[in-house]
Amino acid sequence: MKRLHLVGLIAVALCAASAAHAEGDKAKGRTLVYTCNGCHGVPGYANAYPEYHVPHIAGQNEQYIVNALKAYKSGERKHPTMGAQAQSMSDQEIADIAAYLSSLAK
Amino acid sequence: MIRGFSLIAIGALLALAATQTFAAGDPARGKTKIATCVACHGQDGNAVDPQYPRLAGQYADYLAQALHEYKDGRRDNAIMKGFAATLSDQDIDDVSAYFATMPTKLQGLEHHIQGE
Repeated sequence: MKRLHLVGLIAVALCAASAAHAEGDKAKGRTLVYTCNGCHGVPGYANAYPEYHVPHIAGQNEQYIVNALKAYKSGERKHPTMGAQAQSMSDQEIADIAAYLSSLAK
Repeated sequence: MIRGFSLIAIGALLALAATQTFAAGDPARGKTKIATCVACHGQDGNAVDPQYPRLAGQYADYLAQALHEYKDGRRDNAIMKGFAATLSDQDIDDVSAYFATMPTKLQGLEHHIQGE
């Protein structure tokens, strides 16, 4: 019984921690996506070598964007341009960008 | 009669061979191969859980690129690697074509930056 209590407390603490961490500011995000626009804001724009369309990111899910940018930042996910971009972003800026982009879902 | 029939059979075979060499993605065929995807990405490709990306309306060639990268390990994700490993190149094109044609919540970033 006591143990269950402890598990509950830990769960609550974890929730609180992740929530405090992931608080993105949409308005700030709107100003930060200016850099993204050069590729992700050009309809039909293609990545070169290999060639494929630069993905749509407006309306994408919030936590997925956070995970993607952090993976680019750490080098776990590799793409020369995105790696360089993500390295210039703080965790807060990543959260802001994700909050704004996800709010654009049609 | 037999001649006509075999001619049709040869024609069908040629058509089949042609589609396989072209390897263009077929959304209808893709729809039959997405059983594992929908658990996380949603039946219509619009994942509800925010940790999973929305696939509906994403560019087919980007989706295919992602699946190839998961399959060969360039993009490192244990779960996606397992699924992608079961897909042939044709499967990847078909599944990508299917999700690309689904009604989307995604859009381009144009018109959504500050000052526009």
